[in-house]
Amino acid sequence: MEHAVAGAGDRRRPPDRSSADLTTPDVYLATAQMRATLRVQQEALHAARESLREAGFVELLPPLIGPVTDPGIRGSKQVDVRYYGHDYRLMTSAILYKQVALHAFPKIFLVAPNVRLEPLDTAYTGRHLAEFVQLDVEFASTRYADALTLLEDLLVDIVEHVKRSCTQELADLGRELRVPQRPFAREIHADVVARLQRIGRSQEGSAEIRWDEEEALSREAGEPFFICEYPKGSRGFYDREDPARPGVLLDFDLVLPGGHGEVASGGEREYEYARLVTRMRETGEDPAKYGWYLDAARRGIRASCGFGLGIERLTRYLVGADAVWKVRAFPKIPGMLLP
Amino acid sequence: MLAPGFPVADVRDRARRGVEAILPRADGCEERAYGHAVFGEIAKTDADCVDGLDRARIVPPVLMPGRLEMLLELSREPAFSDVDLTSTVGGFKCALPVYVSAMGSTSVAQSALGFEMVEQAARAGLPLVLGENVRSMFGYERRAEPGLPSFKDRARAYLGCLEGNTGGLVVQQSTEDANAELWNEVYSDPDFHPLVQRGLLGFELKLGQGAKGATGGMTVIDRETAERVGAAFPMEHLDGMTWLRSSAPGTFTEDILRSQVRLMRNNFPGVRVWVKLPPGRDLRLAGDAAWGAGADAVVVDGACGGTGLTATVLLQHLGLPLDECLRRLEGHAGELLVSGRMWEGSRVVKALALGAGGVGLGRAAIVAAAEDAELGLVRLIEALAMEMRLLISACGKYRPDQLGRDDVWFGG
Repeated sequence: MEHAVAGAGDRRRPPDRSSADLTTPDVYLATAQMRATLRVQQEALHAARESLREAGFVELLPPLIGPVTDPGIRGSKQVDVRYYGHDYRLMTSAILYKQVALHAFPKIFLVAPNVRLEPLDTAYTGRHLAEFVQLDVEFASTRYADALTLLEDLLVDIVEHVKRSCTQELADLGRELRVPQRPFAREIHADVVARLQRIGRSQEGSAEIRWDEEEALSREAGEPFFICEYPKGSRGFYDREDPARPGVLLDFDLVLPGGHGEVASGGEREYEYARLVTRMRETGEDPAKYGWYLDAARRGIRASCGFGLGIERLTRYLVGADAVWKVRAFPKIPGMLLP
Repeated sequence: MLAPGFPVADVRDRARRGVEAILPRADGCEERAYGHAVFGEIAKTDADCVDGLDRARIVPPVLMPGRLEMLLELSREPAFSDVDLTSTVGGFKCALPVYVSAMGSTSVAQSALGFEMVEQAARAGLPLVLGENVRSMFGYERRAEPGLPSFKDRARAYLGCLEGNTGGLVVQQSTEDANAELWNEVYSDPDFHPLVQRGLLGFELKLGQGAKGATGGMTVIDRETAERVGAAFPMEHLDGMTWLRSSAPGTFTEDILRSQVRLMRNNFPGVRVWVKLPPGRDLRLAGDAAWGAGADAVVVDGACGGTGLTATVLLQHLGLPLDECLRRLEGHAGELLVSGRMWEGSRVVKALALGAGGVGLGRAAIVAAAEDAELGLVRLIEALAMEMRLLISACGKYRPDQLGRDDVWFGG
């Protein structure tokens, strides 16, 4: 069988495996462009932490491994780890831990590294890495609209801070960054699908918005916008199904303008034991392996909302790059063996 | 190779002699008897078969407008060899509307399944379903047992012999495989990426199977294997050296099924979605849910189906026979594939006439490959294709999808 990485032929296309671009981090890390990008990334993280702390959030250290992790990861594989004779997984996201962590504080966040062995197609989207970092936020609430407002404020705080603190870097990178206007538009998934279908795009109503369609929507947009209320069957079991509207999830994506696409996903969470078990089966999961989490749910976990915001995707937007692998040190492009 | 209750001798005969074996022989004659003896109806030797499909007859009309159409097209009287069997089964092009069903991890199936059967299936242009629990029992890439090929060994053997764009690899996922994320592993594996791009990969969600209903798979394993896989499966100690390994069947409701199919479509763009149902009384409801959610094919395994081990009481008393399954699915909207006791032309043609778009071979494929590792399955398929052409043309039809319910008579 061939190990083909056939390319899309655009600028986001990863360099050839044999290319020195990514296999020699000592070279690319020393470029002015990379230095400026990493400074912007540092300031973005600083601003995010400040913004969340001011809003009453407490930062926790992220778990790296566990007996289970987030299964709601479109077509990608978790990484197995042998842990004292047992099968553990590297975190694909800390969603389960975030929910339970609300027992400590009602508002928490993590800066969490995740690993997902993404399908090879994602090497060309410009926004997938096999190893990435999320700003993982969770708070006690029963309205996902609260998360939308928080996310709007967070993004605006980050952009304002980066504009203030990275004037030279943005100028060096040729990036004219504009502070987004609040409130961001809130579109319903079903309406977005209908709009895409009207213009002849092959978007299924029961699925996530396809990457190329989402990019097209993002290119048309002048401001960030939310796509809300995805259909059941397109997300993980933890996104809460609206009790009043079966089949509709109380969740959302934040899509950035300029072709940068989705930067954050979130929603209200399922937290009641019976609903969690049923939703697990709907996503093909065996509840047996979620023992510790379901035990916690039996004892009671809080109703909550939250989201994960991709740091590399955010950085890509802030500096105006066309691919996430250009904005982090030691990127792991899906399918490529890189340091 | 033993397969109690299955016409093993007939399958082995075809595996040895191919098309030659579809012609009857008189008792005691070693040579072909056709033309040298008179034959009436060949008595059924297998009284155990519970379903009415074998008892039904294919009854062609006398007047055949379809044959006239073919006559006009060919400018000569059509022959059985004019029947075009090429079909699309569950989204895959094939030489005839036949695929090879998933085999259990039972050792009798694995002995023949290893390489020989999958290679022959590829050479015959048939889609192959790979499962159940092969990954859990034999390893994904590295072999869990040195003598037995891993999941990927089998996939490689099949794909290595595939010619052109016929055939397709369908990966079945059971509850244990879901824990191991088999679909995610395959979908993100660079070696399978070209298959996705060529449209030759499918995933089969298994809700149950013929002989076992929705009770989950079982197999008898030795102590060493029990120690290796023990954590992943419920295990029952039978005697000093053997254990009974069972699989959890998984819980399904209409909503759970619909959501799982949607999730498969959402998570695996470019992959065909098959859903395998046991012969349950509500299979119409389940089938409609699967099709409605976007399954490319629904597979129904009649009560006669099954290759692996299960309790005798289940084999004898569980599930609907295939003819009743087909009756309950009459007028269904999506593509239907059926399996269970398939090995020769009449049962296949009856199933197609009653609404199936393709049929799966299970035990027959194992027995044939075990009989002749090089050509047993290929010859069995040649014989099957010849019989199908004879029967379909006898009905005045020249493509499998022209068959209809009128072509089958159940008597009384």
